[in-house]
Amino acid sequence: MTATSVRGSGPPSGRQRAVAERTERTIRRRRVRSSIMVGLMYVAAALAILPLLLIVIHLIRLGATSVNWAFFTQMQRPPGEGGGGMANAIVGTLIIIAIASGVGLPVGIGAGLYLAEKRVTMLATTVRFLADVLNGLPSIVMGIFAWELLVKPVRHFSALAGGIALGAMMVPMVTRTTEEMVRLVPISLREAALALGYSRWRTALSIVLRTALGGIVTGALVAMARIAGETAPLLFTALGNQFWSTALRGPIAALPLQIFNYAISPYDEWHAQAWAGALVLVGIVFVISLAARVATRRRFGAGD
Amino acid sequence: MKLLSICLGAAVAIAACAKGSDNSANDSTSGAAAAAASSAGGSAGLTGAGATFPYPIYSKWFDSYATKTGVKINYQPIGSGGGIRQLSEQTVDFGASDAPMTDDEMAKAKGGPIQHIPTVLGAVCITYNVPEVTKALNLTGDLIADIFLGKVTKWNDSRIAALNKGITLPNRDLVVVHRSDGSGTSYIFTDYLSAVSATWKASPGKGKDVSWPTGLGAKGNDGVTGQVKQTPGAIGYVELAYARQNKLPTASIRNAAGQFVAPSIAAVTAAAAAAAQKLPPNTDYRLSIVNAAGAQAYPITSFTWILVYKTQPNAEKGKQLLDFLKWALRDGEPMAPSLDYAPLPAALVTRLDSTLATIKVGATP
Repeated sequence: MTATSVRGSGPPSGRQRAVAERTERTIRRRRVRSSIMVGLMYVAAALAILPLLLIVIHLIRLGATSVNWAFFTQMQRPPGEGGGGMANAIVGTLIIIAIASGVGLPVGIGAGLYLAEKRVTMLATTVRFLADVLNGLPSIVMGIFAWELLVKPVRHFSALAGGIALGAMMVPMVTRTTEEMVRLVPISLREAALALGYSRWRTALSIVLRTALGGIVTGALVAMARIAGETAPLLFTALGNQFWSTALRGPIAALPLQIFNYAISPYDEWHAQAWAGALVLVGIVFVISLAARVATRRRFGAGD
Repeated sequence: MKLLSICLGAAVAIAACAKGSDNSANDSTSGAAAAAASSAGGSAGLTGAGATFPYPIYSKWFDSYATKTGVKINYQPIGSGGGIRQLSEQTVDFGASDAPMTDDEMAKAKGGPIQHIPTVLGAVCITYNVPEVTKALNLTGDLIADIFLGKVTKWNDSRIAALNKGITLPNRDLVVVHRSDGSGTSYIFTDYLSAVSATWKASPGKGKDVSWPTGLGAKGNDGVTGQVKQTPGAIGYVELAYARQNKLPTASIRNAAGQFVAPSIAAVTAAAAAAAQKLPPNTDYRLSIVNAAGAQAYPITSFTWILVYKTQPNAEKGKQLLDFLKWALRDGEPMAPSLDYAPLPAALVTRLDSTLATIKVGATP
């Protein structure tokens, strides 16, 4: 039964029936086409998360057996002795992320706010362009730069140098996301604040930044997750450490470095540790990303 | 909001102290003495960096040494070239390398003359994938050179057949696999080929990375192993520890005495012993021991070195480093075979003891 036949009052004429049939055919064709496209979208969505799924499954298969309590509480053991863990590397990675965030977030958020508020000034255009260039800079270049500036003059590797190198990598990412988020704040909100007598800086901080905070936090945490796995900038800055060390001015262990060192060794037990380390690193990134979701959703309700 | 402000507050605080120590670090660049002092205060223990190849045995040594004495020596495998560079810039207390430093590199070192200390020995094995062959193959140096030059292209080449009587070789293409990354393993291998083949010496020569005339590149020992395993007819080279851990087939190679010798720890130490006997009295230990004399000697072998400044500016660190090196020669060497490294011959250890005594501690260069 079609919509056309319901609407008709008397017995349908031949012409009416023909129209009804044609309409029905069109609708059916559209439905088929729609469901094909929806199906394709589902396939595309599945393909998008497939690599992540495969990686996680692979990591769990190879690494899960080596992830145990000792892995989180012990230091590395030489090959042939078995056991051991990456406690120092896990803590080292967290310390380096903290330093990087300390350096990268204030600068990045401040710069992003400036770019959004002063869109068309010469300085803003330049900064925006340079931020994009910096974003595309290979991470090893950042490492060499940090070595030249922070390691060579003081003649020792340090956690600080590693953190600052990664922090510098965070700056352009955070700047750009902050700018985008601040731009999304409706102009009427600013106007309302200004109309009520707020000064411009007060509007920027209390109204605009606060409204955009959800997106900015997400951007910041995504940036943190991205730098968590960086190896190249740490090679010549944090260097790595086989012993427990939390000294900011000495070489410090980091998960990506440890995974790399173990993975290229000839020993199976170190390979197993490398897989476990990779699994833990993915876990840390996952927790940070999850924190981004939770932080945005609980506080701001939006969260899409 | 509360969580967020805590986060931001902490971030700003960290940024502030990062900035503070950054400033103080810059101040200390004014004098070398001040820099050395800040480095001593900055991190407890010693830092070294360099070759990847000895990393497992070094990590075992430093672990045992820390357990025994409490002195923590942090060694990181950033590559031989990186180790030399960092030592030259004095960002590490000692370096390590699979290839001896060149005179040019030695001249660029900012902390004065450098002493090479051999620690353990490694060997390079020829591994292959010929499904039809189950016994170990015999090869000679000039034949390996010609294979890697692309002159010998079939497994049933008459020259290979002549060395392996009784083994039926297939009519299969030879696929050469070499390292694509700069590597001490490539250095030892090409050093050997240069020693046994004039053609090789003239054309690609020796180095951590040479322009290979033929073959497929693969990254790292694992890359070469993977490529060889996947490709029937492939031939490649990997370090001894890697071949043994992965139970790869390896070729016996004819040494200078005309014997075919399979790679083993004993055969590697034999090569070092033969070379150590001929050592001149004033040696700086930058010697190549490929194609060594001795009936039992495996020909593709090399020392790996720890690199230290002959004058140690920091008295405390210099003494710790020397104490460790003495311990390594006495108590460390016996640990080497368990990780597939060959220990130094006893005669060389005695000589190194007297060399270590010449290193000055706590003086200005």
